[in-house]
Amino acid sequence: MHRRPVLLALCAVTAAPWRAVAQDGPIRLRDLYNHDLSFSDLALAHEGKRLSIAGFMAPPLKADSQFYVLTKMPMAVCPFCEPGQAWPDDILAVYERRIVTVFPFNVPIVTRGILELGDHVDPDLGFYSRVRIVEAVTDRA
Amino acid sequence: MQKFLLSTAAVLGLTSFAAAQDLAQAENAWFKAGQATIAARLAVQPNTNKARNVILFTADGNGVGTNYAIRLFEGQKLGGLGDDHVQPQEAFPYAALVKTYSTNGQTPDSAPTAAAMNSGVKTKNDLINMPDSVAVGDCAAGLATSMTLFSDIATQLGKSVGVVSTARITHATPAAVYARTVNRDWEDNSSIPEGCAQKDIAAQLFDAMKAGTIDLALGGGRQHFLPETVTDSEGKPGKRTDGRNITEEVKALGGQYVENDVDFMALTLGNNAPILGLFEPSHMKYEQDRSGEPSLAQMTEAAIKSLQSNDNGFYLMVEAGRVDHANHAGNLHRTLVDGVAFNDAIRKALELTSAEDTLIIVTADHEHAISFNGYCGRGSAITGLCMEINEAGVEHTGTPETAADGKPYTVAGYLNGAGSVLVEQADGSFSGTRPADLTNEIAMDPDYLQQALIPMTSETHSGEDVMVFAQGPWAHLFGGTIEQNVIFHVMNYAVNAQ
Ligand SMILES: [Zn+2]
Repeated sequence: MHRRPVLLALCAVTAAPWRAVAQDGPIRLRDLYNHDLSFSDLALAHEGKRLSIAGFMAPPLKADSQFYVLTKMPMAVCPFCEPGQAWPDDILAVYERRIVTVFPFNVPIVTRGILELGDHVDPDLGFYSRVRIVEAVTDRA
Repeated sequence: MQKFLLSTAAVLGLTSFAAAQDLAQAENAWFKAGQATIAARLAVQPNTNKARNVILFTADGNGVGTNYAIRLFEGQKLGGLGDDHVQPQEAFPYAALVKTYSTNGQTPDSAPTAAAMNSGVKTKNDLINMPDSVAVGDCAAGLATSMTLFSDIATQLGKSVGVVSTARITHATPAAVYARTVNRDWEDNSSIPEGCAQKDIAAQLFDAMKAGTIDLALGGGRQHFLPETVTDSEGKPGKRTDGRNITEEVKALGGQYVENDVDFMALTLGNNAPILGLFEPSHMKYEQDRSGEPSLAQMTEAAIKSLQSNDNGFYLMVEAGRVDHANHAGNLHRTLVDGVAFNDAIRKALELTSAEDTLIIVTADHEHAISFNGYCGRGSAITGLCMEINEAGVEHTGTPETAADGKPYTVAGYLNGAGSVLVEQADGSFSGTRPADLTNEIAMDPDYLQQALIPMTSETHSGEDVMVFAQGPWAHLFGGTIEQNVIFHVMNYAVNAQ
């Protein structure tokens, strides 16, 4: 099919090596999950322990709440493609110590708190989560 | 260059090829490649067979710019510099530039664009297979009109019809194969206003399967087929408020219904019973994140193998639906990984069909607000930083270009969207500066959002042109710059040609 001869490239592009999880900095939200959305070894090792996680704040579901959802990428909303938008599977429910300070959806933030794993339905919002950070404090990254 | 046809054109081609030997640059590899292209063009003969099969490939939001980015990404993934890579559709003999505007939108959405391809007429944004005399949401006006779709024409010719998408199967592009609606968002009955008798899109898919105008549908969107009282295999409830479980209704028709990759692999293909695969409550996963679901290429393969059992042929529409969504997110990496999955699906179709009897069309519905910086040296990663041109060689120097602010920038960016450098401040105003510490590694991270200018929660479509590439019967009817609805007319001509 390919009629046009491919010109010889002098050198191959070298891909950036995968960055390992930093030892002291916050981990990334995606580090909590394996590709099949099961919990990663890192998540299992930190269950019940204090952890810092980097991500983005989805626009809060309710004002003056202690709850928000952390996403790995800014939660873009497409008016044409997402009526009744579904949450991505790889999110983190965050329960703050105090009322949430709202940050714009595309500002990188870090939340620090205790990691909880396992199914949970929020009694007020009915929000279902598989993984949570509780007693959290959140700030700009 | 394998065979020279003894036509006048080919002889002229040989003559000019011989004359070129006298030029000083005649032995240059580029010169020879250019000559080879001319010889190949001269050898192209129009195929005037009647098309038995038609496959319409659409990557949603894959305009000229996004297609360019996928070309470089796939080429670089294969170890090259990217620019010279040839995507499968780019080796097709015929192509045209396509104008995608809708009748009321300089910038279209996917409803009127898909309708143009399936009905032969342009219409308004948000309308699917409705004339533009109908106002969006005007239920009564919609019910008073009718349109014959290409799927109806194919069915009348005795062909089978399939629709495959990584988006919800009720989403605009796949819906346009089988549905007519005054609002693209009416995907299940819960969004239809009180007193409106128009059927929702999921219900229309069932009707089409029952009538035999759709034989196979694979994609996402399970929530629109299940009642709110029923949860699916992932524990997610349906959205229907009329109590209908359309997945059960399809099974009651004698059809097969699957929800995951394992059951998908076990489908019985080609037994002429309807096949419905709904692999997610909403859209299927991005290829980057895919798990538990078939790939677009696997769905394409299953569709072709199933539909091929009909000796009268088939019409298949295949959509890479999430190239669009990742562009909306401003996340170029996922856009391009889904673009490569689209290419894999096209390669699979080329492998399973013959250009003698199968018209394959590859296009997009619209472009996005994606744009490209300069002056980048060759081999600059398409998702990474724009690197300096190497004056002494071919590949870039490895040093990032910097802007007037002294900071590096990526090859690609978006004119608007979530990656905006203007960020909302505590007082509600927007301001910001570009980050100083951007590295190639950060930019190439799968979750990175390319920098954008205008702040928006979702990056927008644009009205810029898209390409159409074609091979097979009557593919030569594509050429020049065309209106998008012409795509229907080529398909219609090809299946009816005498
Ligand atoms: Zn879109």
